[in-house]
Amino acid sequence: MSLEAIATKLDQGIAELRAGTLQESTLAAIREELRSACNARQDLLYLQAAGTALDTQVIGMRMVTDGELSDGADDPDDWPYQTVLDAIRDGWRIIEFPNLALLLDESRTYAYGAEFVLEKIRSA
Amino acid sequence: MDTSHIAPTLRDSQVLDFCKRGYLLLDGVVPEEINRKTVSFVDKNTSLEPTDILDESWFVENVILNPAAAGAVRSLLGSGFEIPILMSNHRVHMPAPAQGWHRDGGSRYGPTLHYLQVFYYPEACTADMGPTEVLPGSHFLFQHSSLMGHYGNLRHGVKTVASAGSIFLTVYSIWHRRSVSTARGTRNLLKYNYWRTSPPTRDWVIEPDFDFALADYTFTRRGMRQQFRDTVDAAEMFFWLCGKAGEYQTMGGQGWPMPGHRNASPRGFPGEPTATTY
Repeated sequence: MSLEAIATKLDQGIAELRAGTLQESTLAAIREELRSACNARQDLLYLQAAGTALDTQVIGMRMVTDGELSDGADDPDDWPYQTVLDAIRDGWRIIEFPNLALLLDESRTYAYGAEFVLEKIRSA
Repeated sequence: MDTSHIAPTLRDSQVLDFCKRGYLLLDGVVPEEINRKTVSFVDKNTSLEPTDILDESWFVENVILNPAAAGAVRSLLGSGFEIPILMSNHRVHMPAPAQGWHRDGGSRYGPTLHYLQVFYYPEACTADMGPTEVLPGSHFLFQHSSLMGHYGNLRHGVKTVASAGSIFLTVYSIWHRRSVSTARGTRNLLKYNYWRTSPPTRDWVIEPDFDFALADYTFTRRGMRQQFRDTVDAAEMFFWLCGKAGEYQTMGGQGWPMPGHRNASPRGFPGEPTATTY
């Protein structure tokens, strides 16, 4: 459950408290939701793209899903996302844009492609 | 060991191709009998550095001085190159996960070629045996190895699937990794270096119609590098190998060595005036 949903449940509990209808079970349920949220796992997706435009072709990938590493399929055409935009549309959130400081020297190229790091939060 | 009698075997276009890709695969060039003897040797000497194999004359004659391999080494490192004095064996018990992408420690970047990193498969290496994967053109692509660990599959990577007795030569700094294996058993991959002892010069097999101005220096891998950096770097390395480093120049723009369908020889070719000379 998202933190927003937990906050909504808390608001309901406060309303029940004011109305004198608050039950211990309501608080216990909120406590369990908070515990669950604290145990949420981060999924990560590294995408190296041909450029910083979100619709350029992905040229490299690795992902961490539920604590497991995966490099994707051998054939790039079978990778889950062909562009960064595809990943965003599937719910991934960008947490790091390509580090442009590494790309400013025309005479030397550093690293591979324009790298985006994305995440999803997986509930326990 | 004197290697000055070894003749070069690569032609101009093959040397240029090596400059562009950073590697050359010679498939199945070692005789099967030698492959079997090699496997037998490394099965007994399972060290990761079975350098003793370099004391075996049959190995030196047929692998280190293999005509196809030594001819290619002679083409790239010049006359009197030095043969390996250290042998490594990337011996892997399969199945095994993919190794992280890396370039070996000691890599230097630039147009010079003073040594070659060479690999030898004494047995066939199929895709499910975790062949070494290389990233063509990455010998010009700087990155610390310790900052490559998050890379997974790369669109431009190439697996060196090869027959038994294959040898592949690489620029030392090329990005590579052992790919994932699903087969069972043991995979051997011997690795060693050759060394230059003479100045570079264009004394490989000359192609009479090879045109320095119009040759194709481009090796585009979309998104991997800035447009035409591959072209400029490959041209510079080729000129260095030709012993023409002092003549090398680029004008920029659409000038040499950029590719293009022109109606005349490209401007800025070495010898022509550029911004630094007129």
